[in-house]
Amino acid sequence: MDLHRATVTANEQIMPETHVLDLASPGLAKAARPGQFVHIRCGPGWDPILRRPMSIFKIRPDGISVMVRAVGEGSTIIASSPLDSELDVLGPLGKPFTLDPSARRLAMIGGGYGVAPLVALAVEALGKGCEVVLMVGAATADYVFPADELPTDVEYAIATDDGTLGHKGFVTELLPRYLDWCDAVFACGPTPMLEAVARITRPARYGVAGAMRSEKPVQLSMEQHMGCAMGVCLGCVVMTRKGYQRVCRDGPVFPADTLVWEGSRA
Amino acid sequence: MHGLELPNPVLVASGTFGWGTEYQPLVDIQRLGAICSKGITVRPRDGNPTPRIAETPAGMLNAIGLQNVGLRAVVQEKAPIWARWHVPVIANISGESVAEYEQLAGTLDGVPGIAGLEVNISCPNVTDGGRLFADTPKSAATVTRACRAVSSLPLMVKLSPNVGNIVEIAQAVEEAGADCLSVANTLLGMVIDVKARKPYLANRTGGLSGPAVRPVIVRMVYQIASIVTIPVVGVGGVTCLEDALQYLLAGASAVQVGTANFVNPRTATEIIDGLEDYLTQQGIRDIAEIVGAARPPAARPAVSTTA
Ligand SMILES: Cc1cc2nc3c(=O)[nH]c(=O)nc-3n(C[C@H](O)[C@H](O)[C@H](O)COP(=O)(O)OP(=O)(O)OC[C@H]3O[C@@H](n4cnc5c(N)ncnc54)[C@H](O)[C@@H]3O)c2cc1C
Ligand SMILES: Cc1cc2nc3c(=O)[nH]c(=O)nc-3n(C[C@H](O)[C@H](O)[C@H](O)COP(=O)(O)O)c2cc1C
Ligand code: FES
Repeated sequence: MDLHRATVTANEQIMPETHVLDLASPGLAKAARPGQFVHIRCGPGWDPILRRPMSIFKIRPDGISVMVRAVGEGSTIIASSPLDSELDVLGPLGKPFTLDPSARRLAMIGGGYGVAPLVALAVEALGKGCEVVLMVGAATADYVFPADELPTDVEYAIATDDGTLGHKGFVTELLPRYLDWCDAVFACGPTPMLEAVARITRPARYGVAGAMRSEKPVQLSMEQHMGCAMGVCLGCVVMTRKGYQRVCRDGPVFPADTLVWEGSRA
Repeated sequence: MHGLELPNPVLVASGTFGWGTEYQPLVDIQRLGAICSKGITVRPRDGNPTPRIAETPAGMLNAIGLQNVGLRAVVQEKAPIWARWHVPVIANISGESVAEYEQLAGTLDGVPGIAGLEVNISCPNVTDGGRLFADTPKSAATVTRACRAVSSLPLMVKLSPNVGNIVEIAQAVEEAGADCLSVANTLLGMVIDVKARKPYLANRTGGLSGPAVRPVIVRMVYQIASIVTIPVVGVGGVTCLEDALQYLLAGASAVQVGTANFVNPRTATEIIDGLEDYLTQQGIRDIAEIVGAARPPAARPAVSTTA
């Protein structure tokens, strides 16, 4: 982890409001792992003051890429970075996804820009000979992550809220189809989606169905507003069985069974 | 600061630099004037529900709620690390009652690795109906006196800007035995989520910090430094050399860098470099020559007049 001045070598819009930025930085390329993120400064001034966390979307030999959805002030500034401009990038930060060597069949589930870290993970997993299914959810067909950004070996399943492409409904409704098949589950997206993934994959305590649905490792990448991203401000915590833990340093990836939802301690 | 020689006048502020270890991979922490630790309470604290952070133009609000590992863990796990460092570590303490401040100050007295105490009197006083110790000269002085009685460590008392007359409180704290004042903690603020039509932070209110607060705190330092005789440390919105110079010229002997650490973790060390160059360029041998230089001559304390 270090402070990098990374040159923007490509900036391509791949969906409405969504840009992929290639950042040149050998240091980041060498250190980055799927599931980690970078903390990017929104220009040289003090408004907006805080950096913005962005997942590592691709790891290239000479740098990394991030996929930025322009939703507000900071992300719009970053997404509109001109070619050859320099970004002030802190990273890589946080705990990466863990690929257990015994897990060969991986189910990944992403909502919105939550697909970003899963793409990096899918590339690494395919390189290790794993089979990967990636389920993504979006509001409408226009916002579905384009398949040509994915390695062809990934099995791609789509859900849209309005049914304009793929399954009509929540992306989590696709998960049961792959649950018996897979050895491990990885998810990143809005908190309600992650909570649904945790609920669907949680082994039932009683009954045959529960017993068959053996305990598969489920890793969830959580989101929270960040101040420092270095573990010092304690602004980014989520509730876990061990009390509040920091998304930036103890996460963003957490085993699903350690998380406590809606602030109630289980 | 009484009994504590700082290598330079640029410190990092409590709650913005963790336990000092977190930024070690990025910052040459041994070059800092001092590190003010995360706020320590007697018992470990969980802190407030989320969201805990909100952004505002050139500033941020936080409502962390003093999440920390508690006094015992600090003594057993953090202080031994600090004892091996050159950089002085000043323990920032927060109590819910005078007795808790006494316990914190007394326990930390003589612990190797702890170079001084910063007494944060701006946290809720549950024994006094939700008021803050920093709210009145009397309660601020009571806490200061209690800490002074049980500790031989240099005592810096951190004032709250959320009071009617901060100068009165500064005077009371000086008379009660403080060696130094840090001015100030965060300004109480609120952000409303217009879509949800309710306060944005789970705690409803939060503390405003960053460049947005700087003019308010510079004014407070200017007022206080004219009246008290103990050193004043300026805290609020320091991001660069010019900001630090504003505080020094207003009468502060040192500054603390807070929120700016989140944006550029090397802010404090860059200011230290800048200050050295500045003093050389201006032919200033002792930084005391510029401390308070922006104040009217009559109000300035007698510094060296040989020039
Ligand atoms: C670990 C992590 C990885 C992320 N990866 C990506 C990514 O790959 N691509 C992408 O487009 N976005 C990603 N985000 C979300 C992204 O950081 C926010 O969308 C962005 O901060 C919004 O900033 P803004 O200024 O545009 O929005 P504004 O609404 O103007 O922001 C206001 C405040 O809210 C915070 N904020 C708003 N939305 C979020 C959010 N969803 N998560 C955290 N903070 C938020 C901002 O940081 C800021 O402090 C990630 C967030 C986290 C925590
Ligand atoms: C996230 C955060 C946590 C803080 N925690 C503490 C604390 O525990 N004790 C304390 O005395 N001040 C605390 N502060 C206040 C800072 O030390 C400092 O007084 C304030 O941020 C103003 O300085 P700045 O504008 O440079 O940030 C905290 C500030 C922030 C932003
Ligand atoms: S963002 Fe500061 S502790 Fe995580």
